[in-house]
Amino acid sequence: MDVMAPATVADTTPPGGEQRSAPTPRPRKLFRRDRLTPYLLSLPSLVVLAALLGYPLFQMVHISLEKFERAQLFGTRPSQWVGLGNYTRILKDPLFWQVTRNTIVFTVVTVVISVVGGLLVALLMKQVSRWVRLTMIVAMMLVWAMPQLVAAQVFKWMIDADFGVVNYMIDKIPGVDFFKHSWYLDPLQGWTVITALVVWGAIPFLAITMHAGLTQVPRDLVEAATVDGANPWQVFVSVTLPILRPLIVIVTTLSVIWDFQVFTQIWVLRDSKPEREYYSLSIYSFTEAFGSGRYGLGSAIALVTVLLMLGVMAFYIRQMFKIGDAD
Amino acid sequence: MVAVDTSISAAARAVPRRAAGSRSRRAGTVIANTVGIVFAAVMAFPAYWMINTAFKPANEVLLFEPNFVPEHPTLANFVSAVKAPYFLTDLRNSLIITLSSVAGALVVGFLGALAIARFRFYGRRALIMVILTVQMIPLVALIIPLFLLLNKFELTDSLPGVILVYVMLILPYTVWTLRGFIHNVPRELDEAALVDGCSRWQTFTRVILPLTAPGLVATSIYGFIQAWNEFIIINTFNSPEHENLMAWLLSNQTNRATFWGPLMAGAVITSLPVVIFFLIIQKNIAAGLTAGAVKG
Repeated sequence: MDVMAPATVADTTPPGGEQRSAPTPRPRKLFRRDRLTPYLLSLPSLVVLAALLGYPLFQMVHISLEKFERAQLFGTRPSQWVGLGNYTRILKDPLFWQVTRNTIVFTVVTVVISVVGGLLVALLMKQVSRWVRLTMIVAMMLVWAMPQLVAAQVFKWMIDADFGVVNYMIDKIPGVDFFKHSWYLDPLQGWTVITALVVWGAIPFLAITMHAGLTQVPRDLVEAATVDGANPWQVFVSVTLPILRPLIVIVTTLSVIWDFQVFTQIWVLRDSKPEREYYSLSIYSFTEAFGSGRYGLGSAIALVTVLLMLGVMAFYIRQMFKIGDAD
Repeated sequence: MVAVDTSISAAARAVPRRAAGSRSRRAGTVIANTVGIVFAAVMAFPAYWMINTAFKPANEVLLFEPNFVPEHPTLANFVSAVKAPYFLTDLRNSLIITLSSVAGALVVGFLGALAIARFRFYGRRALIMVILTVQMIPLVALIIPLFLLLNKFELTDSLPGVILVYVMLILPYTVWTLRGFIHNVPRELDEAALVDGCSRWQTFTRVILPLTAPGLVATSIYGFIQAWNEFIIINTFNSPEHENLMAWLLSNQTNRATFWGPLMAGAVITSLPVVIFFLIIQKNIAAGLTAGAVKG
């Protein structure tokens, strides 16, 4: 883009500068004169979003207040208004609390590991030789580009109890017996695999973004601090980190939003029918709706999920506006 | 000559001190390089293992002591993946769905982006807010009402229904990124073209469109990746003959979980277009998500 722009400037400006200096009527601004144009231009986007997003969201709130099950879907029975019935039902259900707790714990652990890990990898990328950095970037790009579904299937295969390569390698450690070890019997181990998969998938974006951020840290600031006697740790804490802070805030917020909705990884690892121990809020809502045909109840769970994330979302949007990119 | 002499002797004097410093620095680099290579190997291993398995004959896949390089590499897994039920149908569906939804989102999104980037109007900030918010609504929250909506119009188990949903899914990102690209075209260019007697339409087609072409390509590739990778909605709404390749891959896993060879071969085929496209535009993706977060 930047390279192209000057050439086109030359193309579009008239040959011979006199024409420019000649008194011209006030230049018309593109599309700017009538008030209606911007609205006409945004109309198609608004229609699509309203029809396929606004209306469904409204509909979700609506059916979350109804008993809406298979019979209502097929129209054999009218839907029945239950008020907050679905909500009191889930709030009284110990499973809901367990799933909420699991989702929150998973999100916190995964976000902390992936952001700290990403930062460490970004710092490492500054220390290594050029060719190693290039190797690291290529490996990470490969991971980043892999579709989530495919990545999850490969992990499932790697930790297969019988022929998985992970069990084979762990079994090689003297004194450890991992022959035919199942990773899903103990939910803690199962969630560890899920966390590992999500962290592995998240590191490339985080590390590469934060490495780009690190290269923006002015070198003379670091040198000045070093001359003044700061050790590398002090330089990191008092110079690098403050400059990187806005970026870290953004990527952490994004990670929370992504990880809180975790679905694909669990869905694939647990063969499209996860046990209750492996429910995240997304899976819980989806299974209630499409597994058990309780669309009203599923909508209520989905709505609670969105409400739980609302704070983080609002923070992200405020941050985008603050940075000024949204303007 | 004198100058050279002094510089050499100066260098000679400096040697011992500098050597000590560089030796410890070099040791540091060696350690960092080792860690970096190990990290790269661990990250890339799953991709390697997928390819490795895809080329192994059936009897070599199911070994308690797996081979790290296929002993008798074969293409049999790829053949059996391609011959598996619905592969060709779902490949065709994938292409139709992806290309139509990208085209739809691009046309609709470009107009919206033009409005946001080139005009100040009442409600502009609200529109930006909607576009940013919408990107964060969990898909799983929308899937129930979307299903009911499409069901009402008898669009479930059809390609048009899914295409509509995917247009909606990729639209916000499309508007947001294109807005950035249009914003980068200097406004003076529009004005210069108008002064030179271009009509608005000509200004649009001869100035803005060519200058945002790279942006259009990048944005549509990103949309392609999004639509190609989606499987939850299509797998829930449609039957196998109206699914895409991702959903096909998922049903292959659940139907025949132990056939890892063909499954990994299918996974390689399915990811290939995405990986290639991704590598082309990777810079834009990261930039779109965190744009401007570091400004020095």
